[in-house]
Amino acid sequence: MSNLEVSHKTNSIQQIRYVCAIAAMHSASAIPGVIPIVHCGPGCADKQFMNLAFYNGFQGGGYGGGAVVPSTNSRELDVVFGGENRLRELIKASIKILDADLFVVLTGCISDLVGDDVGSIVREFQDQGISIVYAETGGFKGNNFTGHELVTRAIIDQYVGDYDGPKEQGSVNVWSLLPYHNTFWRGDLTEIKRILEGIGLNVNILFGQESKGVAEWKDIPKAQFNLVLSPWLGLQTAKHLEDKYEQPFLHVPIIPIGGKETSAFLRKVAHFAELDIAKAEAFIRQEEKQYYHYLEGFSDFYAEYWWGLPAKFAVIGDSGYNLALTKFLVNQLGIIPGKQIITENPPEEYREAIRKQYQTIAEDVFTDVEFEEDSYAIHQKIRQTNFGHKPPILFGTTWERDLAKELKGAIVEVGFPASYEVVLSRSYVGYRGALTLLEKIYTTTVGASA
Amino acid sequence: MKINLKTPVVESREQRLGTIIAWDGKASDLSKESAYARGNCENTCGDKARRLCEMEGPFTQGSVCSEQMVECQAGHVRNAVLIQHSPIGCGAGQVIYNSIYRNGLALRNLPVENQHVICTNLLEEDMVYGGAAKLEQSIRDAWERNHPKVIFIATSCATGIIGDDVDGIASQMEGELKIPVIPLHCEGFKSKHWSTGFDATQHGIVRQIVRKRPKKQEDLVNVINLWGSDIFTPMLAELDLRVNYVIDLATVEELEQLSEAAATVGFCYTLSSYMAAALEQEFGVPEIKAPQPYGFAGTDAWLRELARVTNREEKAEAYIAREHARIAPRLAELRELLKGKKGYVATGSAYAHGLIAVLRELGVEVDGSLVFHHDPVYDSQDPRQDSLVHLVDNYGDVPFFSVSNRQQHQFYGLLKRVNPDFILIRHNGLAPLASRMGIPAAPLGDEHHSLGYQGIINLGESILDILAHKKFHQDLAAHTKLPYKQWWLDQKDPFVLAKESKPGNKEEHSYV
Repeated sequence: MSNLEVSHKTNSIQQIRYVCAIAAMHSASAIPGVIPIVHCGPGCADKQFMNLAFYNGFQGGGYGGGAVVPSTNSRELDVVFGGENRLRELIKASIKILDADLFVVLTGCISDLVGDDVGSIVREFQDQGISIVYAETGGFKGNNFTGHELVTRAIIDQYVGDYDGPKEQGSVNVWSLLPYHNTFWRGDLTEIKRILEGIGLNVNILFGQESKGVAEWKDIPKAQFNLVLSPWLGLQTAKHLEDKYEQPFLHVPIIPIGGKETSAFLRKVAHFAELDIAKAEAFIRQEEKQYYHYLEGFSDFYAEYWWGLPAKFAVIGDSGYNLALTKFLVNQLGIIPGKQIITENPPEEYREAIRKQYQTIAEDVFTDVEFEEDSYAIHQKIRQTNFGHKPPILFGTTWERDLAKELKGAIVEVGFPASYEVVLSRSYVGYRGALTLLEKIYTTTVGASA
Repeated sequence: MKINLKTPVVESREQRLGTIIAWDGKASDLSKESAYARGNCENTCGDKARRLCEMEGPFTQGSVCSEQMVECQAGHVRNAVLIQHSPIGCGAGQVIYNSIYRNGLALRNLPVENQHVICTNLLEEDMVYGGAAKLEQSIRDAWERNHPKVIFIATSCATGIIGDDVDGIASQMEGELKIPVIPLHCEGFKSKHWSTGFDATQHGIVRQIVRKRPKKQEDLVNVINLWGSDIFTPMLAELDLRVNYVIDLATVEELEQLSEAAATVGFCYTLSSYMAAALEQEFGVPEIKAPQPYGFAGTDAWLRELARVTNREEKAEAYIAREHARIAPRLAELRELLKGKKGYVATGSAYAHGLIAVLRELGVEVDGSLVFHHDPVYDSQDPRQDSLVHLVDNYGDVPFFSVSNRQQHQFYGLLKRVNPDFILIRHNGLAPLASRMGIPAAPLGDEHHSLGYQGIINLGESILDILAHKKFHQDLAAHTKLPYKQWWLDQKDPFVLAKESKPGNKEEHSYV
């Protein structure tokens, strides 16, 4: 009989933390006026929507998204004979009854396995002047982070197209959080746009209600530069834009949370974009004044509260929020990092750079990070962590609710899936988001105290 | 029509029952066209499926798949593990079904925990070389991590196409681990309606879990349900009967004793049809063949039939009389409060038949309703289970009765036809549209909410609650735009595209 001990990493993923590439239908519907069309089995759209956008902050489907996006709902016939005619028919009907500025066709496992020539079908419509693009996003090809860059690239190459006109000084394309997967992306992108405009930039935020939709995407080639504000997501897009439009890019791996980090971020951007520094500094001063006013009030609580506050933390989540939160918790609040686990399976080539960020998280604080996708293994790692003399606070997901109870600690659901959070415009980044995050963290701990 | 338990693959709904997913007309006409009334099957469908005319249009919106139903049933057996043999995208369902599992456990006063579901996470190279080794590994992981009493395996579209030998691996691992390892074949593309996924789970349970040499328990009743609140225990206690809730939130031991019960009931024939019929066929456990327990007529008849089969008729009559008297005063008040209100039901098939009955008990007008699919017969083929005929005969016709598989674009026109004050739903996808039209929805998360005598009162109270929500929805309606073109919103017939696309009637429209 074989040895049943499982100590090594296996293929199994228990309690998923990312989904598949076709979930990038959400990257399409995150752009105002854009509607995805999915060419896949009957359950795919529902699965991606209900899990990524419903039981994750209850964000909702918006104008062009939801479980009911146009779908071929492939059947056995489409598997045996191919689904090309069915797709053509659906695209025609979608154009007829739906009011969209742009359609994005995404394929699933069935189409990619039987080898439907989706490209040539979509080109039939493109040739007639229809605004439509396609991306092959079969579930086995990668996760929703991969899918996001595929959809982004599809829109750029097939819709935005070539450009050799002049650039507009002081305008930027922002590539940052993954829409819908990050539970707070709407509020966060709003705050990111607000602070970048504050220092004098024209901002193409591209996703979310602050975006001007496809018109803004058409402006992508005119921007002075691209800003990649995430540990790695968006880098492929930025490199592609560098080749395609000769646009330089600035990569800032840490999404800023709190006064210190946000001001440093804005100075870096202002310098890179050669903005009017005096104007940028005036904005920073104004923002810091407000931020530290509230922080001063908070300090009474932070210094005098009797009943104990958590001293050590763990973060379990994708690298974007994981790094941003760790930076904030260590440097703004002085909480001690216990364990950081990155869960979205970042491409191998970016991992060393991410690790370095943790090793230099503060001048006097060194920490490490692990990469793990399977929640069974993740929870074992957390259980084996020494959090010292009192229970930790976990920044994680719904999967950690019971683990937090087991450790007698607190849980703040900050990422996918956050099934016990209702999120509308809430943001945890920048100046304003940091204050909301403080409210959330300490309402959680104080609220559970008696 | 015998249920075939010999092969590991369940026969789909359309093969067994002639299920359709698109139809529009009067409820009475649909009931006449269905097999119970007609019985004269077309020669193409042998002695199994009945044939109904079905519309098929070019425009379809995301539906639901069989694998999702396997996840929410097999994935919710408390001491089992479900393995999703699939790429990671199918694993997305772990999020919603975990949340439902947790809240279901809490509602039933059971210890709250995360569900036990593992995805084999198939990648591109597995599509070329096959995913067998990964499946085997995940089965070992499931055993090592949870020591479950049973391991279920859900197949996926991808594994169905590449042809992994799931049955072979399951039987090899069953021999090794000495617990049932049960393949559930539920590829999304294999059936046009997701309710086949219910049948796939039930097929596997009857084949590989249910005790083959049962010791009869004469006071045990199988209740095939989902996560609903525990209303059956007190109700059946009136007849000195005990409840065996399956499949969700049950333990493997509770599934094993399915064959020992004195009878099988359910809250919805769509869900319970397959397993109830299989248990009767294989183990002689009688399925209660009566109208579903909704409204006075249905609940009276259902209780009487259950009492007859379990020899408890006197107790039932006393209970029925007491309950009629008990709810009468509040029912009278509710009827007064709901006078002139119009409701619309948009749920699964047999469940909708029950809900419409309850609405009419409350005096609510129901001019239109939709079901996601329609089964011309259930597996028993017994006309006493004809829930649609029961509705039409006891509570009157529904003039605008549609079969529409969560097609939101049709829902707009369907609602415009009858202008309801509220809708009743369970599944996602339709209420957001109603909301943007100013119409509130009552989402019936607890599927037992409207069942039995108390259910009439419960539903009435909930409708009053949601009618108050109308303020929210009307405000929203004034400030949102729907994604449909005005041309479509102006269409009088929600099925117009399907009618245009009939063979030989295809009209090319310019779409530029």
